[in-house]
Amino acid sequence: MKLISSLLLLVTISTPVAANENSSAPVVANENSSTPIAANENEQAEPWLERLANSLQTLNFSTSFVVVKNNQAEPYHWFHGVDQSGNELEILSLLNGPRRDVLRKDNIVSYIEPELPPYSVSSQQITGPIPAVLREGVTTLAQTYDFISVGRSRVLGRPAQLIRIVSKDVYRYGHWLWLDQKTGMLLKLALANRTGQLLEQIQFTHLDITTDLGDSLLQLQQTTLPKVIEIPAGYQEQVLQWQVKWLPEGFKRLNANRHRISTTKRPVEFMLFNDGLVDVSVYVNPSEDNQRATDYVMDGATVVLNQVINGFEVSVVGKIPAKTAKAIADSVTLNAKLAP
Amino acid sequence: MSENKFEAVSSMVDDYQQNDELFDEVLNDSHLSATWQRYHLMGDVMRGETADVINFDLSSQIATAIADEPTILAPHTSNNFAEKLKAKVVQFAKPFGQMAIAASAAGLMVMGVQQNSTDTDALLPASQVVKTMPFGGIAEPVSLNFQQTSRSSEKQAFIEQQRRFQALLSDHQQQIKLSSVDVNNTPPENKAEESAK
Repeated sequence: MKLISSLLLLVTISTPVAANENSSAPVVANENSSTPIAANENEQAEPWLERLANSLQTLNFSTSFVVVKNNQAEPYHWFHGVDQSGNELEILSLLNGPRRDVLRKDNIVSYIEPELPPYSVSSQQITGPIPAVLREGVTTLAQTYDFISVGRSRVLGRPAQLIRIVSKDVYRYGHWLWLDQKTGMLLKLALANRTGQLLEQIQFTHLDITTDLGDSLLQLQQTTLPKVIEIPAGYQEQVLQWQVKWLPEGFKRLNANRHRISTTKRPVEFMLFNDGLVDVSVYVNPSEDNQRATDYVMDGATVVLNQVINGFEVSVVGKIPAKTAKAIADSVTLNAKLAP
Repeated sequence: MSENKFEAVSSMVDDYQQNDELFDEVLNDSHLSATWQRYHLMGDVMRGETADVINFDLSSQIATAIADEPTILAPHTSNNFAEKLKAKVVQFAKPFGQMAIAASAAGLMVMGVQQNSTDTDALLPASQVVKTMPFGGIAEPVSLNFQQTSRSSEKQAFIEQQRRFQALLSDHQQQIKLSSVDVNNTPPENKAEESAK
């Protein structure tokens, strides 16, 4: 009941905000939102985020965190270290339910999960609850987000600095980061909508920084990772029948392919977009229904929105406000070049 | 069947008492077996441990049948009990295995609604809110939640919808993993606007 009421609350709060914006022309970014504060504090926030990136890449750490969303907590272990030859080692494990591990040895990332046999991909970053961009430095985000140093507080028993990554327009959520003043490490991360309501939180529950590699990482060093899967050239850049006409500024297409959704076996046209911080997936497929009203659910900050218009189902998934997802879904049209 | 027996089964389900005789009786009596199963289901529902999909029609039919008359619902063998338990485990384990962790949160939402099925449609306002957005001139059907007249078809539609959402959510997470591959670290500067030409 609590869950439902909070969901309703979310929806009721986000709607008036969205309604106040100029809903007719979503193309132009609203610039005046947070710039006044940002102008004074920019100098302070960016070094903190650089320090965070540096810490995440170079420190040997063993840490635990809990992802809190929908009245539910998902606990993780996260280990990171750098061996003598300068290779990074990383382990991220979900601790509840079926095993779900991500292992990384420098530029090989392996996923061990219940749905698929273990596999590896060639990548520099693990995909998990913590945005990869935090370890790569946030300068790429400066075009679409402001970085604001807000102040100090106490998190995980340590003095912490609160940094906010705030969208310059109204189409995205804000990320709040609490960083350890001593080491620059992440102590807490929260996603909040524009009214400041928290949608999803990652709270660290333990942090150990060591000079040597921990046992788990030493063990990983000895482990042979599963075979690296090759993704055929061009697979992620296919020409699709459908296209997305509108996205918030700064989103780039990372992937465009046709595949079957693993659980339902339904063939879809798929596009993945990313603004540096947030991933948004767009799916288009024929539907057995002719029309179906827009519906969505929230999984923490992730919205899953779905509608059927004229026999085609359009779905949008990502950590964006429902209003943004709706605008993206509505902008999907047939690719004019391919139309007969 | 005496009320005492049910109470005894209930306390066994709750681990308050271990009684081998009563266990044998449950094993050999399909009526008590069904009671045992129902009590466990109730417990699961109350603790929020049920699977995403429960066949409500079936369980309510069984419940009605039991309430109406002491019909023997299944062959009177001792294997029966174990098989029922196994079937239950399979029924519950399967959806979880398929949907797995990634989607478990969305699963929770379904449960929240199942538990409060006497409430008015819990997610209705959500679709209403979205519904008010402009649709670009396309005639819009009445919301899913309004069309349903019978409780069970509404539930089926809702479950179907939740499945769809969960499938999308887990596929989204899968695709992110594959898209962070190095080949794509230097993608062509494909802004949406450009790809939309």
